Amino acid sequence: MAMPRLPDQEFETQDIMINMGPQHPSTHGVFRMVLTVDGEVVRDVVPYVGYMHRGAEKLCETMDYRQGIGYMDRTEYLANFNAELSYVMAVEQLMDIQVPERAQWIRMILCELNRISSHFMFTGAFGTDVGVFGTAFTYSFIQREIVQDLFEEITGDRLMYAYFRPGGLAWEVTDNFVERVREVLTQVKQGLKDVDGLMTANEIFIARTRGVGTISTEDAIDYGMSGPALRASGVDLDIRKTEPYLYYDQVDFDVPVGEHGDVYDRFLLRVEEIRQSIRIVEQCLERLRPGPILPERMPRMLRTPPGEVYIRTEAPRGEYGIYLVSKGGNRPYRLKIRSAGLSNLQALKEMTVGQYVADAVVILGSIDIVLCEVDR
Amino acid sequence: MTTDETQPARATGRGGAQPASPPPPPSFDDTIWPVVDRALAGVTATPERGSLDLIVHVPRDEVVAALRALKRHADLGFDYLRSLTAVDNEDEGIDVVYHLYSTAKRLNLTVKATLPNNDLRIETATGVWRAANWLERETAEMFGVTFAGHPDPRTLLLPEDMTDTFPLRKDHPLAEIEVLQGEGMGYTAEGQ
Repeated sequence: MAMPRLPDQEFETQDIMINMGPQHPSTHGVFRMVLTVDGEVVRDVVPYVGYMHRGAEKLCETMDYRQGIGYMDRTEYLANFNAELSYVMAVEQLMDIQVPERAQWIRMILCELNRISSHFMFTGAFGTDVGVFGTAFTYSFIQREIVQDLFEEITGDRLMYAYFRPGGLAWEVTDNFVERVREVLTQVKQGLKDVDGLMTANEIFIARTRGVGTISTEDAIDYGMSGPALRASGVDLDIRKTEPYLYYDQVDFDVPVGEHGDVYDRFLLRVEEIRQSIRIVEQCLERLRPGPILPERMPRMLRTPPGEVYIRTEAPRGEYGIYLVSKGGNRPYRLKIRSAGLSNLQALKEMTVGQYVADAVVILGSIDIVLCEVDR
Repeated sequence: MTTDETQPARATGRGGAQPASPPPPPSFDDTIWPVVDRALAGVTATPERGSLDLIVHVPRDEVVAALRALKRHADLGFDYLRSLTAVDNEDEGIDVVYHLYSTAKRLNLTVKATLPNNDLRIETATGVWRAANWLERETAEMFGVTFAGHPDPRTLLLPEDMTDTFPLRKDHPLAEIEVLQGEGMGYTAEGQ
């Protein structure tokens, strides 16, 4: 039987523009992108950000150094402690404050626990993006809530902690802090096994993510990407290792680095980072000793001498930087927040063009953006 | 937003004074300044000691040439743009600040260029790092700086039609806060 012959000339196709967002469950906040598609293939992406812009930098210029801490929580609401840390470290650097040892260890514990809860948020939301609706989300969110409960016990607030202060901490942690952290770690380890077992070796999950949204090492560096999104492309760059702050040079941990620079690697890296963060917290607990949590002589009103500093720390999404310019007085003259999400999002076009339209959501999810941090 | 027509001249300002450069003492030898100085041959750069990183002041006409030289130099290799922003120094003009990092050599450097208030124009760095694209768009809309040759000069965070006011400039009032906090917070009811 003769096969029907296809016409010699190619089919004429027409590019269609699809508007996605800003109100869309898969955009992780208020984000809009205009996709130009040719059939199933994405030809162009134009991202629009700024829907959540509240002028945090301008507002910080009108507030003294203690009031500004709360605004850091509101920019990076999934990794509040990491955001607060950059800010208070900038003030400490300008004022030349020595932070007591105990405060530093507690900061480290809280920052790493925050990394764990943030990465669980990622595995849950990412599962939904890929299509494992519900299951991955609930399993991850149980773990996130367990960590969140601990934070609420310590700081009194579920999300907006404002617990770090220039010089140390706002108040002493609860008496059963060490036991509670160990309890949380035990539960998180079990939860990580669940999420790992559900997703990592899942054939459908791998089929949706392996080889999707690839970005090369050179492009990732050129776009200024950071965090797990950069390391997935094979760049061994973690600020905790390259420019250690707190006591990261005194603990033992590995920085996982990807090979393929695709969506699956970005997922694997975050799962591995949860494991490494658990390791770090366990070592911190061993080193935690009683002691003061603030320096003995702290001024009632924080005043910085004129100067400027750019502090960078490794937040769960990448480099969270604070550029603080002081001209004396109790307020920043200029405060710039370097957002990891903004730089990572710039590379979205590079990753998405040429991929299927169904993968656009998966790629966006793999960057793990927080729109409040992007827009500030 | 910042096309050639919409370039506004700022009312304040006595023109752009160069930042007070300290007399270059030999104390810069413990920093990366000697290497940076060699890399920036032909550029009039002046060093300044920052709180963490070395700061280099570069004239604004030579800034992109300087950035390109810093990226290409074998011993420096500043291939990563950490941050790009501006600081409004009121009468002394606007500083455009670049925070560079070298992924191979693990070095940090801050580059600064001062723009006079009557001509807020600088060449774009998007040809050096693609990371500069959105950061320059943000700096342009917030400070009214024109990045000449920028491939995509639209607003980034602000609404498309908000091209006549620049929120992060010091002369831009923070209206709501004035009423709520009043005196003592630096902004008075008269609208300082």
